[in-house]
Amino acid sequence: MPVYSVGQVTRYLKESLDADAVLGDLWVRGEVSNLFNSAAGHHYFTLKDGAGQLKCVMFRPATGGENLSDGGAVITHGRVSLYEVRGDLQLYVDMVQPEGVGERHLELERLKARLEAEGLFHPSRKRPLPPYPRRIAVVTSPFGSVWHDIQNVVGRRYPLAELALAPTPVQGEGAAAAIAEALEAADREEDVDVVIVARGGGSLEELWPFNEEVVARAIYASRAPVVSAVGHETDYTVADLVADVRAPTPSAAAEMVAPDRSELIVRVNASVNLLSQRLGEVMEMRFRDVEQSVWRLNRGAPDATTWRQRLDDLSLASSRSLQNYLAVRVERVTGLEFRLGTLSPANVLSRGYAMVQRQDTGETVTSVAQVDAGDDVQVRVSDGAFTARTLAAGGQG
Amino acid sequence: MSSEKPGDVLSFEDAYNRLEETVRRLEEGGLSLSDATRLFEEGMHLARICNELLTSAEMRITRLQTAYGEQMRLLADAQDESVED
Repeated sequence: MPVYSVGQVTRYLKESLDADAVLGDLWVRGEVSNLFNSAAGHHYFTLKDGAGQLKCVMFRPATGGENLSDGGAVITHGRVSLYEVRGDLQLYVDMVQPEGVGERHLELERLKARLEAEGLFHPSRKRPLPPYPRRIAVVTSPFGSVWHDIQNVVGRRYPLAELALAPTPVQGEGAAAAIAEALEAADREEDVDVVIVARGGGSLEELWPFNEEVVARAIYASRAPVVSAVGHETDYTVADLVADVRAPTPSAAAEMVAPDRSELIVRVNASVNLLSQRLGEVMEMRFRDVEQSVWRLNRGAPDATTWRQRLDDLSLASSRSLQNYLAVRVERVTGLEFRLGTLSPANVLSRGYAMVQRQDTGETVTSVAQVDAGDDVQVRVSDGAFTARTLAAGGQG
Repeated sequence: MSSEKPGDVLSFEDAYNRLEETVRRLEEGGLSLSDATRLFEEGMHLARICNELLTSAEMRITRLQTAYGEQMRLLADAQDESVED
């Protein structure tokens, strides 16, 4: 006849209870009594009904503690086990809901609590949508208005994208598994930039597949960010909570995913204007350099005159040529400066000026010394460029 | 910055990002006239690509294979056959 120690018996009891499938995961309904809320945030209470009572403990951070009050009717979820130290049989509660809530709702709240605890809804997990998606996967029914609306919106706003439909039923028996499978099909594609998972409005019953864990897991596993649009704006499913972005309707989801090309055209044209403006400014700056040279040249002119006097013994012809050289230079540059000063920098070229570049090096020609007879040059005017061949080398002055 | 191979077709995103980069470099200043012209030309070229992509694109629609899609296809095939009979 074996004799056991107390510890052996409590250990055996605890192991037996913990191995029991029913006791490990059960819902219990009853009335709350002897409620004690500890400073650490745990709740100790007794659940009872006409036939018996059960000691309960609910540790932080189990959800629904606010539903506990002495005398209140509740439905709890948890597991039964033994607290060996005291030999107490207890219900370890992980969730409390007020009595009167539907069973399905209870399951849903429990699933949400579990997924939340696992971090599936965490804000740090939400990924930004790509600004210019090339390939958009759409997980929805091939029939009905949702797929149609999404095609319309993306086709109008951003037809640069490819839409890849992953067809799935969105309600009824087996829908959750099929939705998850369609999400996985989208995830197997290497180049999908973003995924839309959508269905139109419906009853709570019809939206239910989007509350199932298998769909939540598939959304969470997606490598590309997921936009959910399930039902109407007021319906919040588990799929919406897991998705990176939640859209109020399928059309809104398409608008969030597809940038508006008419806006992009405006932005590209604004860039074109900026480019012209900046080029104009650079040109203007170069003309100012010329202006400064003119000023220095003018300031130097009296010197040239005295210099000329000192060169009296030179022939009149050579003296005249020097004078001519300076005069022509000054006139040219000031004339140029005057004309350029009247131009708006942005449309220098459109006023009839041309920019000349060497065909072979692309270097901008600013001096006659850069071009010889026979050299090919690019002549750039306001609306394009043409090639020209130099007939003769230029002379200076 | 331009890592694409000669035969590659620029995506809108690449072309647009490079266009913005070109504008930014022109705005930085300190450029010679020929550098400024070269950037200007590059920018105009990219803007043309962007505009062409934005105005001429036609949306492509494809289908990914799912069990449900496969069922629908078989069903449709069966219906076609029964119509032909």
